[in-house]
Amino acid sequence: MPSLRELQTRFAATLFTDAGDPGERMAIYRNTVFANYRNALGATYPVVRQLVGVPFFNAAVDAHVLAHPSTGGDLNVYGDRFGDFLASYPHAKDLPYLPDVARLEWAVDEASRAADIDGTPAQVLADLAAVPGGEVARQHFTLDPSCRLIASDYPVLRIWHVHQPGFDGDVHVEFGVGKDWLLVRREAGLVVVERLSAADFAWLQALAAHADLATALEAAVAADATFDLGSALRESIADSTITGLAAG
Amino acid sequence: MDSLPLAAGIGLRAPHVREVLAQRPKVPWFEFHSENYFADGGPALANLDRIRAHYPLSMHGVGLSLGSTDPLDVAHLVKLKRLADRIEPACISEHLCWSSVGGRHYNDLLPLPYTAEALDHVCARVGEVQDFFGREILVENVSSYFAFAESTLAEGAFVAAVAARTGCKLLVDVNNIYVNAHNHGIDADAYLAAIPRSVVAEIHLAGFDASGACLIDTHGAPVATGVWSLYERALARFGPVPTLIEWDTDIPEFAVLQREAATAQTYLEASLAVAA
Repeated sequence: MPSLRELQTRFAATLFTDAGDPGERMAIYRNTVFANYRNALGATYPVVRQLVGVPFFNAAVDAHVLAHPSTGGDLNVYGDRFGDFLASYPHAKDLPYLPDVARLEWAVDEASRAADIDGTPAQVLADLAAVPGGEVARQHFTLDPSCRLIASDYPVLRIWHVHQPGFDGDVHVEFGVGKDWLLVRREAGLVVVERLSAADFAWLQALAAHADLATALEAAVAADATFDLGSALRESIADSTITGLAAG
Repeated sequence: MDSLPLAAGIGLRAPHVREVLAQRPKVPWFEFHSENYFADGGPALANLDRIRAHYPLSMHGVGLSLGSTDPLDVAHLVKLKRLADRIEPACISEHLCWSSVGGRHYNDLLPLPYTAEALDHVCARVGEVQDFFGREILVENVSSYFAFAESTLAEGAFVAAVAARTGCKLLVDVNNIYVNAHNHGIDADAYLAAIPRSVVAEIHLAGFDASGACLIDTHGAPVATGVWSLYERALARFGPVPTLIEWDTDIPEFAVLQREAATAQTYLEASLAVAA
């Protein structure tokens, strides 16, 4: 008699093989499994689904599942690489903005699940004031765990915005025009997406990569020589993008 | 820690959370899917905390892959434990099935062969999970469309043996018994008769799809007439048991679930009257 291991391995192979007729009963499992993934990724990537239509979306999800199978029991965090997959998906090559729209949707999804932080801007300012003047340039910071930074050669924020439920403005988008530097984060429990300047993006991206203040300033100034460190730091603390000081 | 009331609860689903928080409907208890609250923080988890403040909750896992021959996913167990510590649910349940093998997950409730080896394996795993949580869990019988020719035990006997050997309790899904009885030609009443009344801690009711030759457990329809009848016989055998209405696909407005729960409540009250 085959072992439990052998029976499970055989069952799983039948589930995902394209070879031959799996039989009516196994076909039910195959349909259910793929429907689960289509629904799960449809919930995470509703804008991508609207952009390409349900049949195209479902076919892309099926191909993604075969290329990057799930390895965990929490379906809510499956599909993190769907944007990268779409970038190499031949059927989507005429939609060059699609991978970045997916990356934005994943960032929004992650931001909604990120940890809550207790700190206040006043506390961050007090901590910063206590740093000796000569050491401020070497200071590192922590960003809110919900912060995600997305840069795109396409107007992905506008695309994302006009496809949100309840949007009733002008839906016209010049898909090829624009470049976005975006900050995704949670504010008062809601995920917000805001467009940044190239310099602000470079500044936050450096801080997110654990650069110190001087290095982040260099990155920002490289993007825009008029970057104003004082106001950027104040704003990032005031809106709780920066949530604390970090060790070097 | 509260225990579940002997009443008909409702499966908590995302589209209804806002309404539940705003209107605080008269529902004796809710059950939520554990994995939907694995987040580190954020609004969904905060809402669950708020619901917990007003209702007893039961925590129902769909992704642990209890019956898999892969090692138990410790990271998954840690997240379950973190959530249980936060919510302090009246009970924690998992499915008597497997979902993964060879490191690959299928994220579905796949059937076990009912063999002596599978029974030993599942019992050891239930023991591991109970040791990890430091409390008893409930395990639920699943619906299936495929029966292994290798099975040597009846499903009811297998399920009952898991409880007898591990000390876990059973979450008896009456709809799943009905679906399996139809799909595999087994006797639903004999299935119930195999389960001792003392181990049944919860009952699930849901709707299936009957458009094909096989009944498919979609959780996307009202409870079928035949399932209500089997539920009545289950209560006659087990006595009154906390009962849950589940609806997961094509989720209707909350009032529809409340009506289903009200129907379950009438059966429960008849059973409570007999028990009194």
